[in-house]
Amino acid sequence: MRVSGRDDRAGRDVLRRVGEASVLILISLADGPKHGYALIQDIKELADVELGPGTLYGALDRLERLDLIESLPADDRRRPYRITAPGAAALRAHLDSLERVSAAGRLRLRLGGV
Amino acid sequence: MDDPRATRLVERALRCYPARWRRRHGDEAAELAALLIRDGASAGSIALSYLAGAVREWLRPRPGRRLSTAACALLIAACSLSVSVVLVASPASARAALTPTRARGAGSSQVRGQAHCRVGAAAPVPGLIRAMGQLPAIIWEAGHDRSC
Repeated sequence: MRVSGRDDRAGRDVLRRVGEASVLILISLADGPKHGYALIQDIKELADVELGPGTLYGALDRLERLDLIESLPADDRRRPYRITAPGAAALRAHLDSLERVSAAGRLRLRLGGV
Repeated sequence: MDDPRATRLVERALRCYPARWRRRHGDEAAELAALLIRDGASAGSIALSYLAGAVREWLRPRPGRRLSTAACALLIAACSLSVSVVLVASPASARAALTPTRARGAGSSQVRGQAHCRVGAAAPVPGLIRAMGQLPAIIWEAGHDRSC
């Protein structure tokens, strides 16, 4: 599945191959714009994952190229990022997909008696 | 970043990114590093993370770079083609190829030689590799020499 391409985004899980960092960034941005430092802090609190700054900017660039987030005018030396409408749709589709997989996994665990 | 060593370390790591990336993220990346160091993160780990990010950034395929790679491949292919044509069309190998025919009968070889001596037969070669500067002329001359 190709990640890029505007038409692919409707309904399909375009976040499947972008990596965990990108998904965590989208989740963090879902409740409002944040700059790099706030993103790192929020993700640490939210998922107990410490994103390195290099990883953060790589993921931000990738998400921006996919039009899933957009940068806002820089405030001093901090540039806030905001989730876009396609980004919110992609995140929703990805979380739905995770939920289905998670439910199937739990069911199988129950059936298997493990 | 109060510690000048930490500042230098992070700045050096940031300098490893492509200029385009530094223009876009350089300031905010330095600011972020300062805030993380203030919170107790080690400058070394931040610099390492930026270094890894710089490597990924350089390795990331870009449409422009893909085009230039294709152009380079095409140029190399054209060069190899023209070198092989020059080698095949060199006067020494042509003479070697013609000698046994002449020995057998001058009349028939003359006819064969004239059949290859049309300018049209050598013309497609310079047409193919016109972009190669002087090489087409050399190839045309070599081909002409061989045929005649």
